[in-house]
Amino acid sequence: MKDFKHIGTNTDKIDALSLATGQSMFVDDISFSNMLQLKFLYSPYAHAIIEDIDTTLAEKYPGVEMALTYKNTSRVIHTTAGQGWPEPSPYDTYMFNRKMRYIGDRVAAVAAETEEIAREALKLIKVQYKVLPAVLDMENAMKDGAPIIHDEPEIKGAYDPQRNLAAHILVKVGDVEKGFAESDVVVEDTFEVPYAQHCPIEPHVTITYLDEYGRIVIRTSTQVPFHVRRIVAQVLDIPVQKIRVIKPRIGGGFGVKQEIILEDVCAYITMKTGKPTRALYTREEEFISSRTRHQMKVNVKIGAKKDGTFNAVRMHALSNTGAYGTHALTVASNVGSKTLPLYNKAPNVEYIADVVYTNLPIAGAYRGYGATQGYACLEQVVDEVAHKLKLTPLEIRKKNHIKSGETSPIFKALGEGREGVTQYIQSCALDELIEKGAKEIGWFEKYGKKTRNGSKVRGIGMSIHMQGSGIPLVDMGAATLKMNEDASFNLMYGGTDIGTGLDTIAAQIVAETLGIKPEQVIVYAADTDLTPFDVGAYASSGTFISGGAVLRAAMKIREQILNVAEEMFGEHDERDFVLEDGKVTSKKTGKSVTLSEIAYQTLYIKKQHQIAATGSMVSPYSPPPFAAHFVEIEVDEETGIITPIKYVTAVDCGTPLNPELVRGQIIGALVNGLSYALSEEYKFADSGRMVGSNFMEYRISSTRDIPEIVPIIVKTYEPAGPYGAKSVAEININGPIPAIGNALYDALGVRVHKVPYTPERVLEAIRSKK
Amino acid sequence: MLKLKNVKSCFTPNSIQEAIDILKKSDGKAALVGGGLDITVFPNPIIEQFIFLDKLGLTYIREDDENIKIGATSTITDIAKAPAMQNYLKGNVKIALTELASELLRNQITIGGSIARHHFYSDIIPALYALRAKIMVSDGELIEGFFVDDFYRNDLKALMETCIVVGVHLNKYDDSFQFGSKRFVRNATDIALLNVAMLAQIEEGVIKDVSISVGSRPGPAYRFEQGETFLRGEKLTKVLTEDFELFTKSNVDVAKDMRLSKEYRQHIASIYAKEILLDFMGGVR
Amino acid sequence: MKVCYSINGKKKEFEIEAGEVLLDVLRRNGYFEVKGNCYMGTCGACTVLIDGLPYTSCTMLAAKVDGSEITTIKGIGTLQNPHPLQKAFVEKGAVQCGFCTPGTILVAYALLKNNPDPSDDDIKKMLDGNLCRCTGYVQQIEAVKLAAKMLKKGDE
Repeated sequence: MKDFKHIGTNTDKIDALSLATGQSMFVDDISFSNMLQLKFLYSPYAHAIIEDIDTTLAEKYPGVEMALTYKNTSRVIHTTAGQGWPEPSPYDTYMFNRKMRYIGDRVAAVAAETEEIAREALKLIKVQYKVLPAVLDMENAMKDGAPIIHDEPEIKGAYDPQRNLAAHILVKVGDVEKGFAESDVVVEDTFEVPYAQHCPIEPHVTITYLDEYGRIVIRTSTQVPFHVRRIVAQVLDIPVQKIRVIKPRIGGGFGVKQEIILEDVCAYITMKTGKPTRALYTREEEFISSRTRHQMKVNVKIGAKKDGTFNAVRMHALSNTGAYGTHALTVASNVGSKTLPLYNKAPNVEYIADVVYTNLPIAGAYRGYGATQGYACLEQVVDEVAHKLKLTPLEIRKKNHIKSGETSPIFKALGEGREGVTQYIQSCALDELIEKGAKEIGWFEKYGKKTRNGSKVRGIGMSIHMQGSGIPLVDMGAATLKMNEDASFNLMYGGTDIGTGLDTIAAQIVAETLGIKPEQVIVYAADTDLTPFDVGAYASSGTFISGGAVLRAAMKIREQILNVAEEMFGEHDERDFVLEDGKVTSKKTGKSVTLSEIAYQTLYIKKQHQIAATGSMVSPYSPPPFAAHFVEIEVDEETGIITPIKYVTAVDCGTPLNPELVRGQIIGALVNGLSYALSEEYKFADSGRMVGSNFMEYRISSTRDIPEIVPIIVKTYEPAGPYGAKSVAEININGPIPAIGNALYDALGVRVHKVPYTPERVLEAIRSKK
Repeated sequence: MLKLKNVKSCFTPNSIQEAIDILKKSDGKAALVGGGLDITVFPNPIIEQFIFLDKLGLTYIREDDENIKIGATSTITDIAKAPAMQNYLKGNVKIALTELASELLRNQITIGGSIARHHFYSDIIPALYALRAKIMVSDGELIEGFFVDDFYRNDLKALMETCIVVGVHLNKYDDSFQFGSKRFVRNATDIALLNVAMLAQIEEGVIKDVSISVGSRPGPAYRFEQGETFLRGEKLTKVLTEDFELFTKSNVDVAKDMRLSKEYRQHIASIYAKEILLDFMGGVR
Repeated sequence: MKVCYSINGKKKEFEIEAGEVLLDVLRRNGYFEVKGNCYMGTCGACTVLIDGLPYTSCTMLAAKVDGSEITTIKGIGTLQNPHPLQKAFVEKGAVQCGFCTPGTILVAYALLKNNPDPSDDDIKKMLDGNLCRCTGYVQQIEAVKLAAKMLKKGDE
């Protein structure tokens, strides 16, 4: 691996100063004088049919432009999931449904001159509901006689809606029953993870308007501009050509913006009225009416030989996808596909998932995307196997985890709505991650010691993880580069930087490839008119796919530059040329020409042409990043309060293209995972309404909640990735639940089976043990 | 988002009398505004007027030999920074106050606002109960001091239509007195779900006098008189702390809601009661 | 009703509703650098300095602060001439999506004015009302410490 100039450096995030000085524009930082404000009326019932709805009075209210209901809007059934086409999620919703399937479902909307007028007008809408019995517990969804939530005949792609099954997965490798019978020990356990929300500090917000040609421009806080364009076109039944989607700066996504939520409604109003339209979710709407994590109950059973080798692994997931099935199948697929291959030594593996509809808020994509829920259980059962065999958590994992050069049948067996793609691991530093992490946390000094201070006991726990880098043979991104006189380059690419720093990585890749500085790259991204396609920011695909496309485009540019240099030097072997420090130099003759001179030559002087290229990236590879998490906690036996003391995460993301940005992804994901493990939870009233839909009640971490955090980056080189990079965006959110669960066991010998590990639950577990 | 649509006018009176005059004429439709946090987060649609208290000179923390006097519009941050509070009861009162909520909110929450609205912000009122604070109330002419429980025994709504809380007086205590408080939160910047505050006079190992308050959100804080009776006159020993833990568990009155069960609140209140006593003993476990 | 604020040093008059909060007045008048949305004082993205102290502008009645000096993030530094805090946040990777950044930097600014040499705990306590879902806070705290060093060295 040669020394890189820009790859692997802490290049300042190119938009950071603009953000830090308040210059950057987010969606809502523009305003039109005649802009309409959109407000929604929500269902007060978890399950009800709108028998009739009358918006006459609302429409007459002064200042109201338009009222929308199922009666006067699109009747195109679709999914709101921001996924590639054909979307592997059921088509089970309309813009406005006639049947209300959760408290938070949309009954109607009003577009008016001000938000206040819209709110007042909503009160004048008369609705007659026929209330139906509701399914408010995922365990009841498939029972005989359960109310059928999706009984619409037009539904497409749901597995068995009559039984409220949005999706069902069954994958078998070998014979697990035989495997268990052959094993020396068999351990089984179940863990439940709750509804949770991403809580991006900027909620969903969309502004639409018509441009001078009557095309609809959608300026929206999204992770998936191209999917927005396609799905809005589908829903409004207009050509894709009529729509432009722009993604300005985004205030956080984490998966909740991998969805089409406000865009189609705003676009429709703009289309009908000709006026700009704005919709901004309040924090309450963000909690109730956007998307959440899938609540799940995961059961894992492992059969192992005396020496610790896994012989059979079965995982069963019951997943609650809420009222509509967006991401139902794919999240459930990832519960198994991003976890089971990690322990590829077991010849017998079975994965079963039931994804049910309930009359509760809609679950969607959320960082981790099923792996979080899978690891919550798997990594604790692995520890339980170790304890039964009197091996340490380190030993059992070292014995079973996947290594470089290896594969797992699960890669092919579990795709995302289609067959998966076999992967061979080409970079994996798990052993080193485990070793370094264990050393940093003080594993050998602290594990099993149960150090006590009054009623407070210390414990250490660990967990290991893999994820993926993009969806193989599905995710595609593209980038276009063009050269300017001063050797600056315009990079237009579809990559969707939602705050992660992808634009900076892209600039670094161009700079490295062309021998220039990142500051010379002018990045413009995620505009469906001006940039080429990209699936968007999800599946940890940014660096690997979007960055990969940028690299391909840059390599083509490099080629073009060297060709011109050949001509200008009169030499014919560009293998003698070095592209570095803003110039091309011939090693053979010493001749040199600056990139700027090449630009002027090609733009103005001879054989004029625009040096420009487009590169696309789709890959049969989805090389997993790996992580090893270690946590030291203190738990108070009397109160059940868990306090994390130190958290170490050792990560292999291939080449860290920008270590500071990588650190940011590691720590951000992990702190999110921490509050998911300890304090985040949706609570519901008996009616099915979410209670406490605000930050006072839904507790996410603040500066005062974080322990000492030590991220350790271990470099590997992934041949399939741009400059050896894989990904790092999601993986670290998966660690805290199992690592803390294992640490709790180390301290007190108890496990809590329902996340979050609130003091009440911990105390109950302690009492049950006694 | 305009939540307070019906507010038509704002007044910034220069004297307490002026403030009360406006209040009395307002027919219950005026709101006194200290920090304004409460009124914006939990807006009341009947409010049509604001009476801003910023010019009444009630932002002060002064001390004399007997008291620390805190003006009603002093914020939590003001109180935490005040020289008088740094060593008051070994600084434990200051610490109790600065744990709550977040810095941004501590800059805005006023002590008068917290008292006058009988807040479920459990953190402040239990401390005031335990400290036997006197709530100073003015009707424009006279200022009367109420102990916290007497204050809340009034028909608070009626009282607040003709009077203003102008301050709080904290007694100064000699070295035989100790203060302790503990709070249960879901994470650091939460508003406490349950807290216990205790002031005890211990001489020669005997609890000569004690006042205890328990706050259990969403219920208002109250004085745990049964606990006070239990402890008064007892020798402070480890056994006593354990007995008191059991007594508290069975006798403390706590609200319950979806945030936290009654049983756990009783349990944690009892643990905190014990721990505060152990702290008084010098942290001997 | 009319109020007058001095925003980032410039005195201006504004027409407001009596019951409005400062956040809405600011954004309606083009101060888009003030973010926010929760309207409960719980996320901190709407933080501004009022007479030098940080408050959540979504819970501050616009009428109450008539006559005050208000500082937004644009008042402490610009792209051409950033404040050391802004430079430090960039350098330490403390800016990801940037939505919480203006509020957080303003709080840090107020902190460093009163406490030029804060400990990690001081910083954590002061920034505890500024929620961030992207960074996990570690780099923000490092940035504040770096800025403190930069300010001490007189790097203005």
